[in-house]
Amino acid sequence: MTAIATQQINYLNVKKGIWSWIFTLDHKRIGLLYLYSISTFFFVGVILGVLMRLELFNPGRDIMEAKTYNQVFTLHGVIMIFLFIIPSIPASFGNFFLPIMLGTDDVSLPRLNLLSWWLYVIGALFALSTLVFGGGPADTGWTFYAPYSVKTGTNVSMSVMAAFVLGFSSILTGLNFIVTIHRLRTPGMTFNKMPLFAWALYATSWIQVLATPIIGITLLMIVVERVFGIGLFDPSMGGDPILYQHLFWIYSHPAVYIMALPAMGVVSEIIPTFSQRTIFGYKPIAYSSMAIAFVGYFVWGHHMFTSGMSGSAAIIFSILTFLVAIPTAIKVFNWLATLYKGSIDIKVPLLFALAFIFNFLIGGLTGLVVGALAVDVHVHDTYFVVGHFHYVMFGGTGFAFFGALHYWFPKIWGKMYNMTRAYVAFGLLFIGFNILYFPMLILGVMGMPRRYYDYLPQFHTLNQISTIGSWILVVGLLLMIYNLIEGYRKGPKAAGNPWHGITLEWQTDSPPPLHNFDKMPELPEGGPYNYPNAKSE
Amino acid sequence: MNHHFTLPNSGHNYDAKASKMGMWLFLYTELILFGGLFLVYMVYRSLNQDAFLLASFNLNVWMGTANTIVLLTSSMTVAMAISALQKGDSKKSIFLLWMTILAALFFLVVKYFEWSAKFEHGLFPGMDHFNQLPNGEKLYFNLYFFMTGLHGLHVIVGGIFIVIVVFKIKSGKVNKDRYQLLENSGLYWHLVDLIWIYLFPLFYLIH
Amino acid sequence: MAPGRLNLDLFVPPILFNSLKMKNQHSIEESHAEHITSYREHFGTWVGLILLTLMTVFISVFGADLRTITVATALLIASVKALVVAYYFMHLKYDPRIYRVLITIVMSLFTVFLIMVILDYLTR
Repeated sequence: MTAIATQQINYLNVKKGIWSWIFTLDHKRIGLLYLYSISTFFFVGVILGVLMRLELFNPGRDIMEAKTYNQVFTLHGVIMIFLFIIPSIPASFGNFFLPIMLGTDDVSLPRLNLLSWWLYVIGALFALSTLVFGGGPADTGWTFYAPYSVKTGTNVSMSVMAAFVLGFSSILTGLNFIVTIHRLRTPGMTFNKMPLFAWALYATSWIQVLATPIIGITLLMIVVERVFGIGLFDPSMGGDPILYQHLFWIYSHPAVYIMALPAMGVVSEIIPTFSQRTIFGYKPIAYSSMAIAFVGYFVWGHHMFTSGMSGSAAIIFSILTFLVAIPTAIKVFNWLATLYKGSIDIKVPLLFALAFIFNFLIGGLTGLVVGALAVDVHVHDTYFVVGHFHYVMFGGTGFAFFGALHYWFPKIWGKMYNMTRAYVAFGLLFIGFNILYFPMLILGVMGMPRRYYDYLPQFHTLNQISTIGSWILVVGLLLMIYNLIEGYRKGPKAAGNPWHGITLEWQTDSPPPLHNFDKMPELPEGGPYNYPNAKSE
Repeated sequence: MNHHFTLPNSGHNYDAKASKMGMWLFLYTELILFGGLFLVYMVYRSLNQDAFLLASFNLNVWMGTANTIVLLTSSMTVAMAISALQKGDSKKSIFLLWMTILAALFFLVVKYFEWSAKFEHGLFPGMDHFNQLPNGEKLYFNLYFFMTGLHGLHVIVGGIFIVIVVFKIKSGKVNKDRYQLLENSGLYWHLVDLIWIYLFPLFYLIH
Repeated sequence: MAPGRLNLDLFVPPILFNSLKMKNQHSIEESHAEHITSYREHFGTWVGLILLTLMTVFISVFGADLRTITVATALLIASVKALVVAYYFMHLKYDPRIYRVLITIVMSLFTVFLIMVILDYLTR
């Protein structure tokens, strides 16, 4: 009894057993369920990616046939997009930290929250079932473009249903966050005193709620066309495949911001903490999240410049695309201004945040290249595009995800990882990442098309460099995971506030008690990032 | 140790406003879900105006009108059921909800007859008559079956929700002071009505 | 019901946040007493909707020569009906203003989707 009494009761040890986890209504446990399932699928996706890079080590067939390669890159895309990156930060860290940062004890609709995790699991099972049933995994690419997706013999229906169910999981998470932010902020926390991570999640949630249904109905049309022959995109019935592309990208472009905005939120948390300085331009950062979400709805056509869409429409979409650069640049400049004259403490989370800025900058600037109508016609469907979106998605969001993991690790598990090993892992990840993807940008400009298991001899050297980069990256990933698991098992106990942060999650114990706070959390005077001992200007 | 501290803004309190807001957000997703189909309809109709016109003559305007009136009436009964429960008259509320369910069933039966008539005439995708139609008319029927089918599915789901609410009123779990579940089911039912309000002219009345 | 929540109850999108603050304070007080719509008002709404339905059917069946105009009127009448359902049956008229603002934003967003897609088809 005394042993239990001295041990603090927290959300991790309050109940034991698998049932207390998979049917929990506690947002922290649901966040962890997401974190574990998302990480698992991330590694599945990584393995598929490494296999693709192996195939591309030499021209011609190395380890797989063309069709297998098509299925591998489709599965890689579906898993990475729908099972990893869309739910990554919002569903795991968002679920865990949004209520704590708002100073409340749960999300507004806890049962819905659990339902959305279960939908995620069901969607994941659907996606995996294509490995075994009905013609194998889809070979269409993650975009499922009609009419090929309607005609191919692979199991597109199941993959598409997976994306449909996962979409609803994502909608329910977003819906829950919006309601939570409106209803459960701690007394005194107005919208303009919310942490920036909450702002980012708020903007993200609106995209999830208002854009995801479009992909839902579009994918449903594909399924219905395959199953009942009700053909809406079949040219032999007068259907227009380009309409499919419109519908697909009306969702899938805003979805890019579902992936990027929460990452920006994480960076906006890490940078002030490790500079011990008030964030520069709180409102511009907060509102630019909303601006990105808003503008992001109207730029989808830039994915379709070469599809046969009308020239006038293409010009309009191209112009609108450049608008996205404005709020994005606002964020970057404000982060850099926050670092200026701050008491910078170069810990691993900050390194990941800086890597985010570096990678996202390359991703963003190459984005302007492909957003420009005239240039895009040349680099469309080349490795330039592959390089571009991996810089944004993996180099950006992926690194922010790792940064969040290192930043909040002590809070979530109450333990600390080995900092030296973390530095090494970060270095390997950063170097490996750039060796892996930078050559792709060059290959793309040289004209290497994407989605082929083969290539011309002149692309050999750069492809080999890229593949070697993938090995370095994998070593970095394994080291990072090993370090975190070791930290969880044997690491020293972490203090309540190891980084001297002042957002509300640092006011409670590590790990947090069952209901997050044992006493009323206190808002910092004068704003969420008002560091008391920060140097005055 | 066991002093029970509860935050004033706890997520574990019953919060009718939160669940109402959640419902509205969900309705937005439903609107946009159907919106995607309306978008497809708009494009294909603009490309095949005459074919859509010809094909629409295969539908029976009077059946469509009857169904519209039935759905509007059911919307009224469910709205009245909310007023009744707010006033504390749960018996009247339950009666009005049963009327709503009856209307839902009537709607589905009419739809069933309409669809079977199309099947008899071979107008379902893949059937003989359908295959001989020009492309534009094929698209019309594809959209017709998809949109009214998905709408019918929503009618069924909405009906099930209302049945559940009826039993919850009977057991007292939904009552005068705690009626958000009824209001949410009502909102969902109105959405079903709202979508039909557009489906009806687009398919039945465009001649 | 939850007194601690009063000051949290800001149903205002951030963009309108500052300008609506005062009005919103007002609506909180109002929302305390839930508005109960009378049976009479529901019935009146229903009568209006039925009349609109009969009108649109009548125009379509007996005004067949008008073609594009019939389509336009049919959609116009449908939109009026939809507004009536949303306003009265769905209680938007008596709900806090934020609900009307949000549904307007959602429908405008959708309208922009429609316009941008049809623009492509009209300029091909």
